[in-house]
Amino acid sequence: MRALLRQLRQTANRVAEYADTQIVADAITIGSAPDCHIQLLGHAVAPEHAVIRRSGSGLNVSARGGARITVNGAATSSSRLAPGDVVEIAGNRLSVLEQPPGFDAAFAVQQRADVSKSEFESGFRTELEQTWLSKRRTAWTLLLLVPLLAFAIPLATALLHRSGTVTPSWVADDTFWSAGPLTAAHAQAVGRKCEACHQQFFVHARDQDCRKCHDQVRDHVSPAHLALTKLGPPGRCGQCHEEHHAPGGSLIIRDDRLCVACHADAHGRFGSLEVQPVTGFAPGEHPGFMATVLEPPGSHEIERLGSISRGGGGDPEPQDWRPVRVPVLSGHEHSNLKFSHAQHLDGSRVQRTSDSKPLGCADCHTLAADGEHFAPIKMATACSRCHELTFDERSPERQLPHGKPRDAMLMIEDYYARRFSDPTMANAGPVRRRLPDSPVVDETCRDAPITCATRRAVFEITNQFTRRGCVSCHVVRDNGSADIHQRYEVQPVRLIGDYFTDTHFNHRLHAVQKDLTGDEACLSCHKARTTSESSVLMLPDIGKCLECHGDARARNRVTLQCASCHAYHSQS
Amino acid sequence: MIHQSLLRYRGGRYLWWAVGLSLGSVALYATQGGLQRHNGGTWQGYTLGTVGALLIAWLALLGIRKRSYSSTLGTVQGWASAHVYLGTALLVVATLHCSAEFGWNVHTLAYVLMAAVIVSGFVGLYVYFSNPSVISENRSGGSRGALFAELFDLDARARELADRCDPDTGLAVKSSIERTVLGGGVLKQLFALDDSRLMLAEAAAGQGTRLVSNTDQQTAIDWVAKRLPRAEKRAEAELLQALVGVLCRRQMILRRLRRDIRLNGWLRAWLYIHVPLTIALLAALLVHIVVTFIYW
Repeated sequence: MRALLRQLRQTANRVAEYADTQIVADAITIGSAPDCHIQLLGHAVAPEHAVIRRSGSGLNVSARGGARITVNGAATSSSRLAPGDVVEIAGNRLSVLEQPPGFDAAFAVQQRADVSKSEFESGFRTELEQTWLSKRRTAWTLLLLVPLLAFAIPLATALLHRSGTVTPSWVADDTFWSAGPLTAAHAQAVGRKCEACHQQFFVHARDQDCRKCHDQVRDHVSPAHLALTKLGPPGRCGQCHEEHHAPGGSLIIRDDRLCVACHADAHGRFGSLEVQPVTGFAPGEHPGFMATVLEPPGSHEIERLGSISRGGGGDPEPQDWRPVRVPVLSGHEHSNLKFSHAQHLDGSRVQRTSDSKPLGCADCHTLAADGEHFAPIKMATACSRCHELTFDERSPERQLPHGKPRDAMLMIEDYYARRFSDPTMANAGPVRRRLPDSPVVDETCRDAPITCATRRAVFEITNQFTRRGCVSCHVVRDNGSADIHQRYEVQPVRLIGDYFTDTHFNHRLHAVQKDLTGDEACLSCHKARTTSESSVLMLPDIGKCLECHGDARARNRVTLQCASCHAYHSQS
Repeated sequence: MIHQSLLRYRGGRYLWWAVGLSLGSVALYATQGGLQRHNGGTWQGYTLGTVGALLIAWLALLGIRKRSYSSTLGTVQGWASAHVYLGTALLVVATLHCSAEFGWNVHTLAYVLMAAVIVSGFVGLYVYFSNPSVISENRSGGSRGALFAELFDLDARARELADRCDPDTGLAVKSSIERTVLGGGVLKQLFALDDSRLMLAEAAAGQGTRLVSNTDQQTAIDWVAKRLPRAEKRAEAELLQALVGVLCRRQMILRRLRRDIRLNGWLRAWLYIHVPLTIALLAALLVHIVVTFIYW
């Protein structure tokens, strides 16, 4: 559209003048903004007040968003314009003229001449209050948005989830209320389902919700024992296990005070349970160590922990062996095994067969994968490298079966029956050098071969079960029976697998101690070099630990917490 | 000066309150650990949270107190002083309350809103310190109205002179006056943006006009100044000389006004963050408290 704009003005000396300008545009904009085609001043004029467009063959004026215009004296928001019409905007007059040749429209603009100083100033927007900014509107919007997005929507989603309805993942749910990330395992198991642990609103996560998954976890104190105390019901899982602190925080609160709160005042609250008071891990604050050993039938050692039943296995009356707790320094273990650590570690008496060097701890003891326990020691792997079960120098390749006393007796009888009846064997075979502790046997016998063989076999069986052979390592009971097969009973070995159940100790971490390594590290705690009796426990007491460790209060010590050694949830 | 007495109110009494509150909070926080893990869920955490929530509610009350002209509950100046110092201490209290554990959750939302409110408050404090003296200096001790009055007179004087010039100069000068931009939208006020224009006649007669940029009125001044050497008569030269003088004076007044609008704008702009976010914070705080007990 090509429009002619005639601006009518009065000069300072009140002479009327006009200035014509030409506008080429699709639409002619009118307003106070400086980039409008027709700029009008005054505080009632909006930056973009109105716009004039071609409409068919004529013109059309329309007000912008709520602005006020009058056409020929009538207020309107939009109107067709014809020559002669007058548009008024805040005291400014815009007259539509007949368009001259070459133009699509023509206007005469007469601006208000009586703009006062104050009006002049108010024509400019100089305050932020005059812009779109609004504290009140923003505040109201946020006041609605925050509770809606942060509370109402997550609450609705939470209720829908509880009723089994699945909501799209992009909809905010109650994870927006989470106090912090879950530990990785719980996050995998539970995902975004808060209700897995938080079943009821305004109620702590309940133990029964934990036990839905952790159904094998045992109580710290059995209900039967708890009933003997004045401790009341056990604490919530959440007392020690605090979630929503991953990845930095641990799920377990390991503070000693959680344990000491009960254990310090043992006598007051533990009722008839005998529990030593513990106030810390320092001299005088923690009782000496008690090892669990198996008590043979009929003895009355310190504390009975209930009978063990190993089921099957053919051991004679295993249920009569009971685990008892004994002080590590003064207690004894009746394992039915004879073994002298002192002798075996004496390099002048015992050497390895492979390189003739003194035995080391690792020659018999193999640390298990957990770093705490050791693989059981077996005759076949640990002992038989040195200790053969031969019984006759003339037949050094013949060895008695280990662990089967009756088979061993039969083998001895069979061997001598053949030796005394088979003429080719009578004096055959090389005679090995007699061992110093083996008895001198008169091999001459002039009786019938079977008589000689039987006598010789009884002699050898008696020798094996009472002087050398089985009896060297095992306790053998002589019941005086006339039947040689029934007379000797090898007592079963009763070693407990773990002296300290429900406690942890990592041997691997202690394989290097200050300047001690290897066997020296082992022997610093276990006095094997000087212990010749297998009944001695050789376990260190608390004093040994306190040389390097202490609780959180100790200075220059490696800190140990209760939970560093003790398991809260009983495993036995 | 109001801003100085704000911080030195009664010898900085509330500074010591804030320091005491912060140190007390740190001491309380330090008693956590081990049995009581550092977070809002311990009794220390709940205590710090309660103190923080009460503090937020009280700080927000300044908005009501300063409008209660009849209130005798302390002076507004005293309230404002306490508002500044205790508001700063709130940052310490709240950070210790949450043990600086943050995540994408409603609790951190409340913290972020609180931090935004406090930081916007710092901005406000900064402009209250720095702007008034600059504003006063810029106005040469006068008021904004005085500057506008002078501009009004200069406009009239420039129009009068322009009427006596050639039509093209007249159009350029008068359109430059009409299309002078002062203030306007948010950005124009806060950054003193100037997209003033003026209308120039096309070089070829009868080819209409065009709008060109007249930022800082420089185009208008240049236009008249260029006419000066070409003045054929002494009277015309004197006229143009006077016009340039008026336009330059006008340029200076406009600069001062723009600066005044900008400085005053910043003096209030922070409140457009501070106040609505305070309301949002109160809402988020309430949600935070309710939700904490829904899943505790």
